[in-house]
Amino acid sequence: MTWLAIALLLALALIGMPLFAVVLAGAMLGFIASGVDLSVVALEVYRIADTPLLVSLPLFTFAGYLMTESNSAQRLMALTQALFGWMPAGLAIVGFVACAVFTALTGASGVTIVAIGALLFPMLLKAGYSERFSLGMVTTSGSLGVLIVPSVPLILYGVIAQQIDVGVSFTIPQLFLAGMIPVMLMLLALAAYTIWSQRGIERSPFSIRAVKTALWDARFEIPLPFVILGAIYSGYFAISEAAAITAMYVLIVEVFLYREVTLRQLPSVIRESMVMVGSIILILGAALALTGYFVDAQIPQQLFEFIHERVSNPIVFLILLNLLLLVLGAFLDVFSATVIMVPLILPIAVQYGIHPLHLGVIFIANLQIGYFTPPIGMNLFIASYRFERPVLDLYRACFPFMVVLILVLLLVTYVPSFSLWFLNL
Amino acid sequence: MSQLLDRLAVILRWAGNFLLVALFLTMLLVAAMQVIAREFGLGFYWGDDLVRMAVLWVTMVGAVVAIGDSKHIRIDLIDRLFSNTVRRLAWVISCLTTAVICAVFGYFSLDMVGWDYVDGTPGVGQAPAWIFETVIPGSAFLMTLRFTLQAFTKPAT
Repeated sequence: MTWLAIALLLALALIGMPLFAVVLAGAMLGFIASGVDLSVVALEVYRIADTPLLVSLPLFTFAGYLMTESNSAQRLMALTQALFGWMPAGLAIVGFVACAVFTALTGASGVTIVAIGALLFPMLLKAGYSERFSLGMVTTSGSLGVLIVPSVPLILYGVIAQQIDVGVSFTIPQLFLAGMIPVMLMLLALAAYTIWSQRGIERSPFSIRAVKTALWDARFEIPLPFVILGAIYSGYFAISEAAAITAMYVLIVEVFLYREVTLRQLPSVIRESMVMVGSIILILGAALALTGYFVDAQIPQQLFEFIHERVSNPIVFLILLNLLLLVLGAFLDVFSATVIMVPLILPIAVQYGIHPLHLGVIFIANLQIGYFTPPIGMNLFIASYRFERPVLDLYRACFPFMVVLILVLLLVTYVPSFSLWFLNL
Repeated sequence: MSQLLDRLAVILRWAGNFLLVALFLTMLLVAAMQVIAREFGLGFYWGDDLVRMAVLWVTMVGAVVAIGDSKHIRIDLIDRLFSNTVRRLAWVISCLTTAVICAVFGYFSLDMVGWDYVDGTPGVGQAPAWIFETVIPGSAFLMTLRFTLQAFTKPAT
């Protein structure tokens, strides 16, 4: 009976039923099976209004959307180009940094492909990078951003993890810190790969004037990372307050200082971003209900016993987890995959002795690589559409980047101290 | 009849958009005000409650509006792999099933609103919680309506 219900839900998910409905139905079926009154599902969903951390989601998302509507992408590109363009493989490194920062701020790497990729792709070709390399690079490099402050997937991971009592507590600022070294490793690995694979590209000269111009153009946006980091790590503000400060700052900068988004356009930016927020938090609400059922029915414990009988080594467990998440990341977006899978996997991983912060980094990094994993990773299709290239070309183009990132991922998976170094300071 | 329905759809769409903008601006302004007010040791005790309630409302209203935009997150594998007939069939099944799920969810959430009404549970400051909770059954039933109607339109691309 249970298996029949699971199979039915999976089938409905695969034919394209909205995921919130799939998860909600799963929670309701679970509670029916254990004889619990269904009004408990509403109580769980109501916890959306009871989670201070969640306030940060609409605020950060709005800030990101507002930046996409203005010319922030151009300014960011110009600035990174002026600063890093003179280095070997400079333009590519510019791309990695700009894409990562943009994804961190907007929360979605698909947006990055359209906003930054579209600027970067012709620049790369003109500078002499091969087409295949350029295509792969613009499709994959936004993914680095999901581990950088104020990454929405990491916040979601934190929200769900706080709902499950696993005995090891952590804060969101710690979660952001945990992602820092892994991102730098990925950046270094990608830069090394680029320098090796694209030998003989001419460097552009360093110009202090270009730096000055770019700095001046971006003068209002340069403080933004400091505003966000300062607010989060001062220890004085909660994450939700940091988000409010960020959203206000971006609003003032883009609407009143740069004047690239008019007051008249503002309602439509708000509407677009809140529709996106609504669809994400609704899945989260449904996942909270499902989590409630899992905990009630002790599903993670049963699952742990089942897996532990077969896999006793934590490393083997992590390898299997990596594989599972890569496949899952190809099917689901990072947000849904996180809220659905964390309640199941976190309690198991903790019993294997894996730290929740470490798991968070592995989790999100994996899902993001899944985004451009053939055959159906979503970013492959976005890029195929945007750059008018067949999807098969994108498979070939993204493959080397995927290999590089998976190697770093393995390293990060098996060396926990890359994510946990600050715990023993 | 169909003209009336069209008009209703326009009004609902406008109301949804208006609510989203109003709710977000409330959330942003109150949250920012709280930060500043706290500096001076002022801060309203109901401010944080209000902001968190606005998140629930934005979520539920956003979820209703998202239907019209086809912005609900779903696995779109079938759109890429199958012909129109299969897609059409899958679309109708998924829309109608979602409508039923929302209806069941809405129905049972009425219980929660009822209990908090009887108990007089406070929500935001002194304002009772049940008033704010009505957004859950309200949007659930609106979603039922929207998904049912959507089953008879063309599949989104």
